Amino acid sequence: MKEKLMSLSQAVDLIKDGMLLAVGGNGMHRNPTLFSLALTQRPVKELKVCGAAPGIAADILFASGQADTAYFGFFGLENEAGLAPGMRKAMEGDEPKAKAIEGS
Amino acid sequence: MIHALRAGAYGIPFMPVGGMWGSDLVALRPEFFQVMKSPFGDEEVVCVKALVPDYAILHVQEADVYGNARILGPSYQDALMARAAKKVILTTERIVGTYRMQEEPKLTAIPHFLVEAVVELPGGAKHGICYPEYLTVDWDAHKAYQKAVKADEVPQFAAKMLEGRL
Repeated sequence: MKEKLMSLSQAVDLIKDGMLLAVGGNGMHRNPTLFSLALTQRPVKELKVCGAAPGIAADILFASGQADTAYFGFFGLENEAGLAPGMRKAMEGDEPKAKAIEGS
Repeated sequence: MIHALRAGAYGIPFMPVGGMWGSDLVALRPEFFQVMKSPFGDEEVVCVKALVPDYAILHVQEADVYGNARILGPSYQDALMARAAKKVILTTERIVGTYRMQEEPKLTAIPHFLVEAVVELPGGAKHGICYPEYLTVDWDAHKAYQKAVKADEVPQFAAKMLEGRL
């Protein structure tokens, strides 16, 4: 087995423009939130995101304008946290910046 | 969605999926759903295209330095995503010895050979929740996030939250 420990900075640099990312967790639960926040400090763009129930970590990538497509069943933060504000801002309106590909 | 990831994990280009009949999504998203005739009979089936993510990015409670990981509490679709994706990036609450996996091999949700990167990142799911480490949303941080989204200032919010950890 190979050792794979690296810094957050090194791991974030693996992500390149246009990649499709599966983001773990659900709603506000066990999301890789700090990883997403770290990605917003990089110029990476045109990301695609997928997950059955993407939550806060995926929302951050739409809020920062770095993701342009989401494949999902349900995209939200649930309970008191409610709807996903970054995703809604990117996907709603007459000329949405991001595309939703829903599939239950 | 889950069938799309399953098809990706199994290495097949699409998968038939029951239960989509009656949904407008089949007609609305031809790039994701198609109807085909069964090769074994006359029935029609809805098929969903495989998704093969470049990376699955997962936050876990325990991982060893090789990328063997355990998920405590609900695992959602994380194990499936790890298998559908080309490679996995793990952030983990703590690094544990490999003995922890050897004690209870069945509890290893993600095996090392799927993983490219392991980042030790306590609090990596904040301002959200990570059972059993932190059990409530940091609401002050979430309000600040909502404000940042409205103001288009999420990178600035992120810089504050990261506190020099990047």
